[in-house]
Parts: sequence; C-alpha cells; structure tokens
Amino acid sequence: MPSSRPPEQGARSVFLRWRRWLRAAHRDVGYMLVGLTFVYALSGLAVNHIADWDPNFDAYERTVQLSAGYPAMDDSALAAAALSAAGVDGPPTDTFGLDDELQVTTSSAELTVSRASGEVLVRGRSPRLLLRVSNWLHLNRGKRAWTFIADAYAILLLGLAVSGMFMLPGRRGLRGRGAVLVALGVSIPVLYVTLSGGP
Amino acid sequence: MVVALGAHRWIDDEATANAKRQKRADGRMRLPPGQRVLSKFRPMGGTPGDPRPNHLRLRIYGEVDEPTTMTMRDLLALEQHDAQVDVHCVTGWSVLGAEVRGVSIETIRRAVGVSERANYVIFEGAAGYTANVPLDDLRGPNNLLAYRLDGAPLSVENGAPLRAMVPDLYFWKSAKWVTGLRFVARDRPGYWETRGYHNHADPWEEERHALF
Repeated sequence: MPSSRPPEQGARSVFLRWRRWLRAAHRDVGYMLVGLTFVYALSGLAVNHIADWDPNFDAYERTVQLSAGYPAMDDSALAAAALSAAGVDGPPTDTFGLDDELQVTTSSAELTVSRASGEVLVRGRSPRLLLRVSNWLHLNRGKRAWTFIADAYAILLLGLAVSGMFMLPGRRGLRGRGAVLVALGVSIPVLYVTLSGGP
Repeated sequence: MVVALGAHRWIDDEATANAKRQKRADGRMRLPPGQRVLSKFRPMGGTPGDPRPNHLRLRIYGEVDEPTTMTMRDLLALEQHDAQVDVHCVTGWSVLGAEVRGVSIETIRRAVGVSERANYVIFEGAAGYTANVPLDDLRGPNNLLAYRLDGAPLSVENGAPLRAMVPDLYFWKSAKWVTGLRFVARDRPGYWETRGYHNHADPWEEERHALF
C-alpha cells in the first residue's frame, strides 16, 4: 500500500528524528564531560602562566635565628634546635653536614643552618590541592590508563564540536551566520600561525 | 596590590632594557631574542625527586671507562666550581648572573674517563625525565652539575639536591633532580624533545620548537 505522505515530508521526519538523537547525545556527553572540562580548562589556565607562578605548589621561604648555645651542639641537637625554632613538625628524614652548615630535610620542609651565625633558612611548600591534581592529569604525568581517558575525552570533544554545529542551526544554519562563525574560529589559529611565522 | 604588580613589572622591564644593551664576550647579545629578565628562577614544575643529599646516587654510565655511582660526598670531593650564569627559559624568562656552585661536566668527564665514541650526554632526572645535550655544548666550566644557587643549597622546586646547569641552551636542558648521566654515541631525544620541542635548544637561534 503506497504511503500517503509526500516524499519531502518523510525526509524531513527522518531529519527531525536524527536531530533529536543528536541533541540527546550532545546533552548526555556534555554532562559527562563537565568534570573533565573543568580539569583541563582550569589546569590549562594555570599551566599556561607557569612562567609567572607555580601552579602546583605554594612555596615559602623565611629565616629564623637560633638562640645562644648552638655552636656547641652536635648535628643531631642542632637539627632538633633548628626544627623547633622554625616550628617545623616531624623528625628529619635527612641531615647533611658540611663544614659551615647543616642541611636538614623533613617531609615538608628543608632547613639550612649556618653553624657560624645560627641563622636558619627555612623553605617549604604546600601543594595547591585541586590544581596540582588537575595539572598532573592534564600533563599526563600519571601515564598508563589516563592516556586512554584523555584520548577518549579528546575524541568526545570533537564529537561535541561537530554535533554542536547541527544542534540549533538558526534560520539558515551553516549556510548563514553559522558558516561565518565557524570560519572565524578556524581562522584564529590559521592566522596566528601565518602571521607569527609558525613553528 | 595592583600597584605592587605594576612596580614589579616595571623593574623587570628596566632590567630587560638594560640587558638588551649588553653583549657577551663571544659577541652575542646578553639577552637572547624574545626573553625578558626576571630576578629569580621560576620553578616550572616537573615531578620532584628525592631532595635528600645523603640519598643522592648519581649513576654515570654508557660510553665511559668506568661506570660508577657517585654520592653527594663523592661529588664534593671533586674540584668545585663557582660560576655566575645567565639562564634562559623557553617560556620567555631569563635570569642573569645567577650564582651557582657545582662540579663541571668536564671534571666529571675526566673523573670517569669518557670514551671518544661518546658524542652526547643524556641527563636523567626524577620520574624518567631526560634531556639530551651534545658534548660539544658542554665545554667550558660553566656547564655544571650544580647543588647551590645564590648562596644556598638548591631548593626542592629548583631540583635539589643536584641539577644540571647548561646556561647556553634553553633551561629545560638543565635537568632538575638529576640521578644519572648517560654518555652515548648516538643522539637520543629526551622528554621535551620528543614532545615537539627543539632537539638542540639554542636561545640565540630561538630554537624553541621542532620544525615540522
């Protein structure tokens, strides 16, 4: 029995059904990638400016003065006195003595004690919790399975970009303003490479 | 805060302008193109190694007469060298006149007897980091394994207890947290060199990225 619908109406119906699936996929993949996008975007901002700040650690450096009596101390007592004066917790994980100074390492700080002056240089750092983890993931320092996750994320992002072009096309879609905006976006890296002389 | 940041930038800019007027003994400009002067090293990340001097085990192997493993005490027993060096990071900052102390690569070469077959050294750092440098670029006493910077032991973020110091190449070649020197006959691109950065890294030629 022949269909009562004209051919162009059938094609439109297929197109609308396909777009409904596209929207659903775009929405669900978009939801799923929010977390990873935050990881990569925030870390990207942080690492992009690595010449201006340390995106992984908040470092500090200060000096404290030992009270009288330090010249007579052996290395172990001198390390203990320096840790106490600096307010650094934990036993030393290493003490390294030179003629004129003692280097004391703990899990959170490094102290350099001048045997002559009793001055203690205290240096340490605390991790920027979320950023450090994000940077670690972004730079793929962990390797192994994260490579697959990062690849999958990149491929899904490509899918989001392509599907995004057909989601809400507007009156003329890619034949109108959409084409201009896509061309503008593509031209940014092309122009930058061209005008800067490239790699 | 904004004023402070502005003043910091102004000071940096004045230092950069001064450096651009200076020349090195070899006739090159003191400041390579595209660089600005900062007063201190930026940490620039990386996976830190063990900073404890007593735990340093520096493996020296490959094309050498006597493969060896040196402790910090072994290194301190060699000839020490103090130097003022200019370093240049590929991200665009330079620090001029940093005071470093260490053992020159030439001293290490003499100590272990590097074979004539060796043409490159691979600096090995913590967590698998590597940087390849031609031996021809390591002549001169200012190419060091450094353990002090500006009068104090290296900080953890600057590679304690030991880092390479190759001032005339971009700073990623100066591997931090050095654990090994591998002398090789054939070149082996390192961590960044296999990730799009230039294999040689001459700042005056702006060898930042690989050509492709």
